[in-house]
Amino acid sequence: MSEIMRLVVTGTVGAGKSTFIRTISEIEAVDTDRAATDETALLKRRTTVAFDFGRLRFSPEMVLHLYGTPGQERFDFMWDLLIRKAHAYILLVAAHRPREFRAARRVLNFMEHRVEIPMIVGITHCDCPGAWSTENIALALGYDEERERPPMVTLDANQPAEVMGALIVLLEHLLSRVMAAC
Amino acid sequence: MATSGYLSDFSLPELFQFIEQGRKTGLLTIRPGERADASDEHFIWLHQGQIVACSERTDHRGLVSLISERGWLNQHSAVKLGDRCPVGTPIGLCLKSHGVLSAEQLQLLFRTQLRQGVFALFDAVQGAFELDTGVVLPMVEMTGLSLRATEATLLGLRGLRDWSPLADKLPHAGFALVRKQRGQPTLRLDALETQVWELIDRDTSLQAIARQLHQPVDLIQRVAFRLIACDLAEEVPMVEALPEPPPSPRRPVVASDEPDGRQAAVSQSFLKNLVGFLRSKL
Repeated sequence: MSEIMRLVVTGTVGAGKSTFIRTISEIEAVDTDRAATDETALLKRRTTVAFDFGRLRFSPEMVLHLYGTPGQERFDFMWDLLIRKAHAYILLVAAHRPREFRAARRVLNFMEHRVEIPMIVGITHCDCPGAWSTENIALALGYDEERERPPMVTLDANQPAEVMGALIVLLEHLLSRVMAAC
Repeated sequence: MATSGYLSDFSLPELFQFIEQGRKTGLLTIRPGERADASDEHFIWLHQGQIVACSERTDHRGLVSLISERGWLNQHSAVKLGDRCPVGTPIGLCLKSHGVLSAEQLQLLFRTQLRQGVFALFDAVQGAFELDTGVVLPMVEMTGLSLRATEATLLGLRGLRDWSPLADKLPHAGFALVRKQRGQPTLRLDALETQVWELIDRDTSLQAIARQLHQPVDLIQRVAFRLIACDLAEEVPMVEALPEPPPSPRRPVVASDEPDGRQAAVSQSFLKNLVGFLRSKL
């Protein structure tokens, strides 16, 4: 039986959640509203709720599953189910959409009050006009103390190398926790 | 470095919260209105996240005008005295030390600055803002008094009549609040704010608080927004209650690996292998 790690990709509308999963997944990422596979159909309990699913098998016994949270800001059972089973998550925030920063903060609050799992913040669209700096986005997300911030990385969700780089940061963050617990 | 944007994207309460949390020092320029042109500019100077002065004038004569309008000192004398102030001393404190102005007069001047230059801006539906943290503070506009940016929000929002520009910023009635501070709030709350503060609980929705206080839910949402904007509380979405789906005979892919419903931990070797795999692809 394979060992599975479940990674949740969450974030605000248009931050690149689906793209992130598509970029790293070895299978065609699945939008469960359009096509439910054997693996995802069992997760999906209502047809109105969609999430993305991707997979990366990197050894015969080891596989990474990626789940994208529903795009709409409805914190229903699907969110709960996804994050309670997750080993880690990445919060994607579009740097050029300050309108969404509060929504990102809400997602963070939701997560932090339900699970204690490693996470990082991925800042996307940094090259767009009106993009905020990482430092200012951290503040807008409520991280006023630098030492209390999670790792923050900038990335282009279309670029495999940048998505992999972000994943490495998250995995190393998780690994440091695992090793500290030993 | 400057940060700019539109109030329709990042509202004034959000901006003030950001400024206070970041302990920003600099100049915040607001251009209210749809056109957001330079003919109507409001300047708010900040020091370590506190508002220290505001004016609508670019000539740095805002404060001395307020002083002369009240007949306390003519502009010429005020400027002349101001020139003799020690470097880095707000003119208000300087005039007070010369016995020209009293502490009460300074407070009145600062309140006037705030009323004209800050509180009025909470009504702005649209407009542009720019926060420049690279400017030198103009001592000639400063009374020496200051107000926390979030306290300005609290005062400004209490007087707000039209909340429609902030409608999409209000916390959902089904959300809960959690306190961000232990003990008593660091800001002076009014009666309703205090009642809401006392009922804050991560398992109690705003709707439930409204029922308990016999108040309309939109009013409680506004109070909640004030507490959030003042960094006293955070909104926490609650999971929407949905009917349980029919039991499935098949095992879900994310089914629990442990009896308590939590996931089994991934092994160190898994993580190291995955990191190694990803590195090999870079």
